[in-house]
Amino acid sequence: MTNTSPLPNPAPLWRRLLPPLIAASLVGVLGAALLSPSRNATTGGPLVGKPAPAFTLEGLDGTKVSLASLKGRPVVLNFWASWCSPCREEAPLFRDLSERQGPGQGLAVVGILFQETQEQNARDFIREFALAYPSLRDLKSDTAINYGVAGIPETFFIDRQGTIQHADRGGLNRERLNIGLEKIGVTGL
Amino acid sequence: MACSLLLSGALAITPAQKARANALGNNLRCPICTGLPITESTNDLSVQMLREVRKQIAAGHSNREIYAYFTARYGNFVLLDPPKEGRNLLLWGTPPAALAAGGAVLWKVLRRRRQANESTPAAATPNSDEPFDSFLAKVRRETRPSARQCREQDTESHA
Repeated sequence: MTNTSPLPNPAPLWRRLLPPLIAASLVGVLGAALLSPSRNATTGGPLVGKPAPAFTLEGLDGTKVSLASLKGRPVVLNFWASWCSPCREEAPLFRDLSERQGPGQGLAVVGILFQETQEQNARDFIREFALAYPSLRDLKSDTAINYGVAGIPETFFIDRQGTIQHADRGGLNRERLNIGLEKIGVTGL
Repeated sequence: MACSLLLSGALAITPAQKARANALGNNLRCPICTGLPITESTNDLSVQMLREVRKQIAAGHSNREIYAYFTARYGNFVLLDPPKEGRNLLLWGTPPAALAAGGAVLWKVLRRRRQANESTPAAATPNSDEPFDSFLAKVRRETRPSARQCREQDTESHA
């Protein structure tokens, strides 16, 4: 007696295509995530759009500078150190920027030393590049931590209302500097 | 050493607060050497961040407030143990969900196999063919030695 059982019903088309579609979508998502550049690599950051943290620090020349006293003026705040090579590359830009603005009016350029162990090196740096704007001591890196500084150079662009509109890390060039200046309403170099 | 004593004296925190500062520091990432917590990194910034943690503990801030202070400035990346909220729930929830899904699939497969085993003898009884029977006899002979006596009895009854 021959008893042939009927062939099993073929699976629906969608059921057979489901595993390959899931695998393809996973690979697509993974590829897109890996290939897209990190958003906060050189610009942006959690503090952009927030009020700038207040500070009152003493400069190398002995004068005290507080962010509150600069209210109403756009501020370019630069964390730097003499041992930092990209800081040497961007120093001429800050010199030109501060020279273009007359003292006491318009844009304020402020430098903050970051883990500067030898102050004399900072003074030599300032003399070498003829920097006229104040550079402030940040003992124990309180202000750097308050600004979320993880490395230098890091530059914050603060508008007239005291809000951080842009942050740049890793070394500025003229184009990147102008991007920050435009965001705080200052004409670029 | 003297400087460290002076620093700890200036902060004036209790041993319990110091232990809490260490626990918090173990969960905060060094922004420069990003693979280490600030309690293990020798970078100056990490030392100062840990000092900031102690200062905030001495000021009476809660753990949540201290974490919020650092994430507001460095982003969620600074936390070595991401909080279980928002999109991080997807990160926390995926492993248990995958484990549950795998368990469900395994249970389904085992149940189907058990049903197939139960239904096979009933189906085979009315359709007992010699090739299948010999195979079944072979399987029985190999798996159960006691089945040989039954087999011999069957042979004798046939003769």
